[in-house]
Amino acid sequence: MNNAAKHIIRLVVLILLQALLINNLHWLGIFHPSIYIIGLLLLPATLSRTAELFIGAAVGLIMDIIYSTAGAHMAACVAVAYFRPLLIHQLVQDANRIGTQVCSASIGTRQFIILASLMIALHQVLVLFLEAWSLDHTGWLILSALCSAGVTILLAWLYDRTQR
Amino acid sequence: MRNLLEFIINHSHLLLFLLLEVVAFLLITSRQSYPQSTVLTASNRVVASTNQTADDIASYFHLRKDNEDLNAEIGRLRQQVQDLQNQLEPITEHQNDSAAIYQYAHLRYRTIPAKVIDLTTNHQQNYLTLNKGALDGIAEGMGVISDKGIVGIVGRVNDRFALVVPIIHTATHLSARILKNGHLGFTNWNGHDSHHVDLMEVGRHISVSLGDSIVTSGLTPTFPEGLLIGVVDKVKLEEGDNYYTIRVNLSTDFHQLRYVQVLSNPSAASMRQLVDSVSVKNE
Repeated sequence: MNNAAKHIIRLVVLILLQALLINNLHWLGIFHPSIYIIGLLLLPATLSRTAELFIGAAVGLIMDIIYSTAGAHMAACVAVAYFRPLLIHQLVQDANRIGTQVCSASIGTRQFIILASLMIALHQVLVLFLEAWSLDHTGWLILSALCSAGVTILLAWLYDRTQR
Repeated sequence: MRNLLEFIINHSHLLLFLLLEVVAFLLITSRQSYPQSTVLTASNRVVASTNQTADDIASYFHLRKDNEDLNAEIGRLRQQVQDLQNQLEPITEHQNDSAAIYQYAHLRYRTIPAKVIDLTTNHQQNYLTLNKGALDGIAEGMGVISDKGIVGIVGRVNDRFALVVPIIHTATHLSARILKNGHLGFTNWNGHDSHHVDLMEVGRHISVSLGDSIVTSGLTPTFPEGLLIGVVDKVKLEEGDNYYTIRVNLSTDFHQLRYVQVLSNPSAASMRQLVDSVSVKNE
């Protein structure tokens, strides 16, 4: 399949899953996994940084409209879009391994897990705190962010394994 | 000038990143100042229509439960008709002026039934979307109740849909009374427990016990007096505190919420106008 089409379809499917399925599940009030972020995480590493920032902003804005969160998802997605290429270049020393695919097979299992964990945790913490817009329940928010990020990281890892 | 241009070109990604973050923060802060007037919400037509379709499919799985609920509701209404008839008899026998006023007070609110097509309970700032909008007579600021108790207040409407800010939203504070002694307080949601709210500003000299009903105060035109909000299920009074920490178990179960009634109060606008005219004069 055409590479660009694959990335776009994956993003659209993840956004629909997030909006129609995850949004309607109530996981003890503590798990709010943002699975759509996996679509941004797996974008080609060769993508231009400007394009990546705009894709991040657009995806975040769509989630904000779905969740009525006005800006929280956008801010988090833009942050992920900005830091992801920087982190990939930090993690992967051998520039030849940075290709269109961002997966454990291309950049290494350890590197992939570190990348996924940091990006997903960053996104989850930003979304929850920006949505709450207060530090009243910091402990609860951190716990919730970690639990949600855990679920998303697990899903990202499982997805990566199916792609081998 | 050359240096500035070079700086911009060298740091174009960083600058774009900062610009997009500034846009996002402007959106967030604009929502914080006007929580009910945000443009980007789920009452947006495309999102609401998608939710409606998803809900139409999901509603087939609830048919049995819905039938049972409707039957129960019919039973309750029959009982209510009976009770009202019993009350009406003595009034029609000795009709006088005060009875007319009493009847008028009940006529003030009209109810508009609506279905919940989208709802969140696991956010700090939750919203409900209803399948009725301005064309059905819903307007911003109207109260929303379920058959069990209070739900929230309409925050935003378009022609076909309404967005409700529920009591489980960190910015919602409803004026409330302890039913047995009439003392006032207001509700405050802690941001994560969708079954409970806290009742604030109840002084330590007031008697509060487990199981006390908490009802609407009737001090705002949004809700009539005496609608159930919930039942006290935890009372704490720390040494040296002037106010109780009271946890109220909400009578509305937001996880099961499917049908609601929107309360339309024709006199609300004129009441608000009166209050506004006074506050303008004071400034």
